[in-house]
Amino acid sequence: MRATGGPEIAVGDVLLSVEAVSLSFGGVKAVSDVSFDIRKGEIRAIIGPNGAGKTSMLNIINGFYHPQHGRITFKGATRSRMRPHEAARGGIARTFQNVALFKGMTALDNIMAGRTLKMHANLFWQMLRVGPALKEEIEHRHRVEEIIDFLKIQDIRRVPVARLPYGLQKRVELGRALAMEPELLLLDEPMAGMNLEEKEDMSRFVLDVNDHFGTTVALIEHDMGVVMDLSDRVVVLDHGIKIADGTPDEVKNNQAVIDAYLGVAH
Amino acid sequence: MVAFGQFLEVLISGLLAGVLYSLVALGFVLIFKASGVFNFAQGAMVLLAGLALVRALDLMVAKGMPFWGAVIVGLVFAAAVMSLTAYLVERFVLGPLVNQDGLTLFMATIGVTFIIEGGAQMLFGAEVYPLPLFPTDAWFLFEKTFEGGILVSKIDVWGGMIAAVLVVGLALFFQRTKTGRALRAVADDHAAAQSVGISLDWIWFIVWLVAGLVALVAATVWGTKLGVQFSITFLALKALPVLIIGGFTSVPGAIVGGLIVGAGEKIAEAYLGPSIGGGIEYWFAYVLALAVLLARPQGLFGERIIERI
Amino acid sequence: MLYRETGQFKTSYAADMAIFPIRQDRIALYVLLAIAFIGIPVLDALQVWPFAGEYLLRAILIPFLILSLAAVGLNILTGYCGQLSLGSGAFMAVGAYSAYKFGTGVHLPLGLFDIAIPALPVLPSILLGGVMAAAVGILFGVPSLRIKGLYLAVATLAAQFFFDWVFIRVQWFTNYTSSGSVTAPELNFFGLIVNKPVERYLLCLIFVTVVALLAKNLVRGNIGRQWMAIRDMDIAAELMGIRPLYAKLTAFAISSFIMGIAGALWAFVYLGSWEPLAFNIDRSFQILFMVIIGGLGSILGSFLGAAFILVLPIMLDQVPHALGIPISVETVSLLVFVVTGALICWLLIVEPHGFARLWLTGKEKLRLWPYPY
Repeated sequence: MRATGGPEIAVGDVLLSVEAVSLSFGGVKAVSDVSFDIRKGEIRAIIGPNGAGKTSMLNIINGFYHPQHGRITFKGATRSRMRPHEAARGGIARTFQNVALFKGMTALDNIMAGRTLKMHANLFWQMLRVGPALKEEIEHRHRVEEIIDFLKIQDIRRVPVARLPYGLQKRVELGRALAMEPELLLLDEPMAGMNLEEKEDMSRFVLDVNDHFGTTVALIEHDMGVVMDLSDRVVVLDHGIKIADGTPDEVKNNQAVIDAYLGVAH
Repeated sequence: MVAFGQFLEVLISGLLAGVLYSLVALGFVLIFKASGVFNFAQGAMVLLAGLALVRALDLMVAKGMPFWGAVIVGLVFAAAVMSLTAYLVERFVLGPLVNQDGLTLFMATIGVTFIIEGGAQMLFGAEVYPLPLFPTDAWFLFEKTFEGGILVSKIDVWGGMIAAVLVVGLALFFQRTKTGRALRAVADDHAAAQSVGISLDWIWFIVWLVAGLVALVAATVWGTKLGVQFSITFLALKALPVLIIGGFTSVPGAIVGGLIVGAGEKIAEAYLGPSIGGGIEYWFAYVLALAVLLARPQGLFGERIIERI
Repeated sequence: MLYRETGQFKTSYAADMAIFPIRQDRIALYVLLAIAFIGIPVLDALQVWPFAGEYLLRAILIPFLILSLAAVGLNILTGYCGQLSLGSGAFMAVGAYSAYKFGTGVHLPLGLFDIAIPALPVLPSILLGGVMAAAVGILFGVPSLRIKGLYLAVATLAAQFFFDWVFIRVQWFTNYTSSGSVTAPELNFFGLIVNKPVERYLLCLIFVTVVALLAKNLVRGNIGRQWMAIRDMDIAAELMGIRPLYAKLTAFAISSFIMGIAGALWAFVYLGSWEPLAFNIDRSFQILFMVIIGGLGSILGSFLGAAFILVLPIMLDQVPHALGIPISVETVSLLVFVVTGALICWLLIVEPHGFARLWLTGKEKLRLWPYPY
């Protein structure tokens, strides 16, 4: 699964980098002067205490917030700001901290909605639902059913997502993001509020996505066990500033990180 | 000087008419600030309060009570009706809909509007009832400066004074009383207010009651001006553009918005009306609001919204 | 036990994605269409009760069909795309008056050059009425990109009051008739003159069937999912590459197109001659209530809501009479207000998706019958 467009980037090369990015809301600094990169094919964790600016960072990467300073380079193209549709078109997909599913739609329709960018039949054909529109609808239904099988949610495809339990909602949301066949998958606390079993399931899905499809993953997570097990590299933010960057082991033993988590005055 | 005198006359009458819009808009802002509900029923509440007042008053006068006594009975009765309405709305409509999104609540208040409009007219009658509370003749000012003077209608001045008193009263209520402070707390954060022991049911009842009393005040002025009748609810709809212009959450915004709309539509009618056909007043406020929305979505005095996800 | 899908296996996604994947539903639909297209005209020809006279067709079925069409239009905008509109009456009016102008000939002297279009036949006039309404819909939909929810409702209210005024004051639209009331041209469809109530009924029925089918196709396809995505969580939708501009404006255009056609039919087929009052804000609320009561986000619901809103005043009038309770016409009209309002509140509290959802719940129960679960 691969998004089209842009230059081909080899595994291990830099897929996305942010350089000296700063973002503030009316004087409150959410992110200040942060730089890091995400390499193709890796699982990159962004961690930090509450209010560290992690979600703001994801919002900057996929163009929802526009930073006041700094640059973002994605697949070789450098911008001072990303736009949401550019990010989506370029192959950045996203899940959200507080599940942001389309509540009135079924699980199937939610995941189908993830295929929007890849469907091109015009309104005329859609209105008649014959020819290209029907062909396309069936073709993409096949792809979506593959995702449904992969996530083992066959039995809930016709259920409106608002009626699903939280763990399954998170899974459907992952499905919706996968339907975009992203090159870079941003996961905002994919395991928040889950029990151990659900966390293990979700970890397995993340690893599988990374392994089988070669999708690059950037995730925010609070469960340190999960972070240390899953990720290849970790960047640590605190109060909007980057305090550490490296492999899980390096980060674990970094004094600044320990201080930040234990709350040493600075 | 004739032209300028005429302009002043239009401007003054427009501003004073605008005060009346502000009066209804105030009711909207109160409810929106405290409960996040955009109360479409505010106009219907003006009609209900007016009908209750005028019918009780007429009945008392017919029974031989002196006029001032009948007015007091009418006001008390109308206030009682408004508190009952506030209770019923809170208990049966908004209570069960707590935590729903704004659009659902808005549609529910459209439902409430229809219940009140139908119910009020079934109970109190559906005709035009004159309400002679305030003098309706006019003063002529600056007769020496301008030829013919500037015509200022007394009822409009009364309306202005009443609105001023009301605003001061509300400000005191919000700043100085315990309930008023609780109201502001609820407006800031529902959950936090509940956690320190403020009862939401009670607060919302109070909010609707205050909005009902504001409607009663508006009804006294409008009823005198136009007679108490169904079309009052349409005038109340103009409070919507007033709020858009002023911003939903701002009391000063409601007042300034009302003045802008009142003066703007009178001036537009007087100066543009002849060239593009009369009756601009009918839509001017809405189109002005649309223009403001496009330039400044949060209104002139509203707070900017930061979206989060 | 009659209503069960056991044994009906789908072997292709195409079969699984049909409008009515369950056989019993399909049969029910065919029966309904047969009654509508054949049964009712036959009963009318035989003048069987309740078709004696023309009351049922003229006063109930024709307005039901046309207002259902308008409700389908509003449901696309409000129910599917989540953009609340209080200006349906205005879009219907634009459709009606545009169709009237095209049907009687457009002559617009603009100084430098004149626009002159000869009188068009009825069918293109009605369709062009829809197109004009769509254009106006897009125009008033543009603010929806910056403003949401209640703010947008006020923008549509601006459309309502502005067009009320335009069609009263700008006499060009009414061909300078002194009364302001206009009369539709003869309903000539390719030489076929539609005049009798049953013919008018069939004309509306054809429009409604075709439009409802096309609308259903749209809402269950890609664009429908985009609309619902914008409605449910616009930010997430945007981050997935759904363009709010495109989704909202297509919803405005298609919704207004349908409402414009409904307006043209209302004027041409139901009223015959009309005044701007026919499309005032009361009409907008009437359509909105049909959509809320019938079910936001349901094509079927649009029909159920329209039927209910039309039948309610008749019931409130007839039932007390039948019970021997005297009730004045005025009280009935006020009672309609109260009952409608109360029903709106009640439905929003217990079943925000209206009658359509109650219908679905009923079907679920029927599938499981006689077991409770």
